[in-house]
Amino acid sequence: MSADPHTSPRQAGGEPSSFREFLAALGEPLLYLVRTFRELSEMFALTLYYMVRGRTRWRAIFEQLHEVGNRSVIFIAVTLGFLGMILIYQAGYQAEQITGDLQLLGGLFLQLLLREFAPTITAMMIATRVATGMAAQIGSMVVTEQVDALRMCAAPPVDYLVVPRFIATTIMMIVLTIFAVLVSYSAGALTALFSFGLNVRTFIDLSFIGWFDLILCLSKALAYGMAIPIIACHAGLNVSGGSEGVGRATTNAVVNASLAVVILDFILTSLGYVVLSLIP
Amino acid sequence: MHRITSTIQAPFRWLGHTAMSWSFNAGGLAILIFQVLRNLLPWRWQFDGPETWRNLYRVGVKSFPIVVVTAILVGAIMVIQSGLYIEQYGAYGLLGWGAGYSILREVGPILIGLMFSGRVGANNTAELGTMKVTDQVDALRALAIDPIAYLVMPRFIAMILMMFLLVVIGNFTALIGGAITSQVLLDVNMVLFFQSVITFVLLDDLLHGLIKAVAFGFAIAIISCHFGLSTSGGAVGVGRAVNASVVGSAIAIFVLDYAITFASL
Repeated sequence: MSADPHTSPRQAGGEPSSFREFLAALGEPLLYLVRTFRELSEMFALTLYYMVRGRTRWRAIFEQLHEVGNRSVIFIAVTLGFLGMILIYQAGYQAEQITGDLQLLGGLFLQLLLREFAPTITAMMIATRVATGMAAQIGSMVVTEQVDALRMCAAPPVDYLVVPRFIATTIMMIVLTIFAVLVSYSAGALTALFSFGLNVRTFIDLSFIGWFDLILCLSKALAYGMAIPIIACHAGLNVSGGSEGVGRATTNAVVNASLAVVILDFILTSLGYVVLSLIP
Repeated sequence: MHRITSTIQAPFRWLGHTAMSWSFNAGGLAILIFQVLRNLLPWRWQFDGPETWRNLYRVGVKSFPIVVVTAILVGAIMVIQSGLYIEQYGAYGLLGWGAGYSILREVGPILIGLMFSGRVGANNTAELGTMKVTDQVDALRALAIDPIAYLVMPRFIAMILMMFLLVVIGNFTALIGGAITSQVLLDVNMVLFFQSVITFVLLDDLLHGLIKAVAFGFAIAIISCHFGLSTSGGAVGVGRAVNASVVGSAIAIFVLDYAITFASL
């Protein structure tokens, strides 16, 4: 029996379609993920292409450096300072109860800070502050048809809008991570001094960290700094539907950027573990 | 002459502008907290059932996947990080303690709180901000419907409740993620991992994390509603409000975390 061309495939199946709906509910997010990932990779490739081929707009890059870096300094200092205080407070309390020996506190804290907390939490903060700003800015440019106007002027939006943000965020992410290590470590040292009476000179202990920790820290910062602007600009450029669309895009940007940070963190941490167990 | 005067004035103008916006936000947050708490009083209690259910669904169910993914990865990362130390000393029995303690107390609530503020808080600010910009909030007032009771209260209840539940779910998912990682990557038996969690991790650690979850939920709800309801200036204003809301939530999360940690030890 030939299928009636007017029936949809769902009806042609004959069976009650709950199983198909189940499959559709599984497949739709998967397709969405694959599509988003492909779009992001395309945009990344295009950004790199225009970075090499296009004209360098120093003015735009400096504006973005100021926007991403200078205006995040206080925010990063507050959050990472509190993070250092919290971690030292918890760890010091535990160490005092279990061994009573606080000698290793500073050295191990610095190692953990470099490997994990400084780049990741800084990136989460940049993802909230900078990614929302980028998505909202580019999104309102899309809604008010300024991006179409750019295309009319033969200025590709990726070249004109994404490349300066990409360069600025990548540079500033590394700078801010180093800043975050300094702030967090000083806040930790002060907490150790005032809460546990641990001497600052004992706290500053560089014997635990090696080149591996520094390289892991900086490569994490580099990876996050490249991922966040791409995701934010992608969310901004894909806005549709007026001011509600801008709101949705900002939410998307911050969620996807934070998720990307966590996923990249997992990948780089496992890679680091594998490398470290190979070196001995 | 005029240019010189304005150059001299600029820093003062900036200072005054910053001070005004800080005090505007501080006062607005205080008033919103007061209004919400007043609406919780039994004789003023207006419970909008359907709206609350809708918000519970939107806040909780829609954030479920992202919280689960984050939690699994966080558990895995914490296990790898403490695995490096554990391997040095050969104390495999303490792996579950090391990962479980830090997940339940600090890392789980902070990261899930940051995700929650990004997903739910930002969404909430964008929604309320769009309503504000398109004069829908004023329309509610014109119909003699209190925006606090109709818009803020359901979101407030939903966010606190769902933040609590999501941290509970996130904690256990993170432990499962940690167990899988310890089996696959570190070659430490899963049973040993969970035994160590059960033996060494105290109820105190769990409760400590849950108190933080409720506090973070409260802060995110108040901050996101305040910045949403005080939006002005069209689509650009909505973007600015979302930005301010997530930044404020992140600062509130870290400050509250320090305060609770400090108070409980």
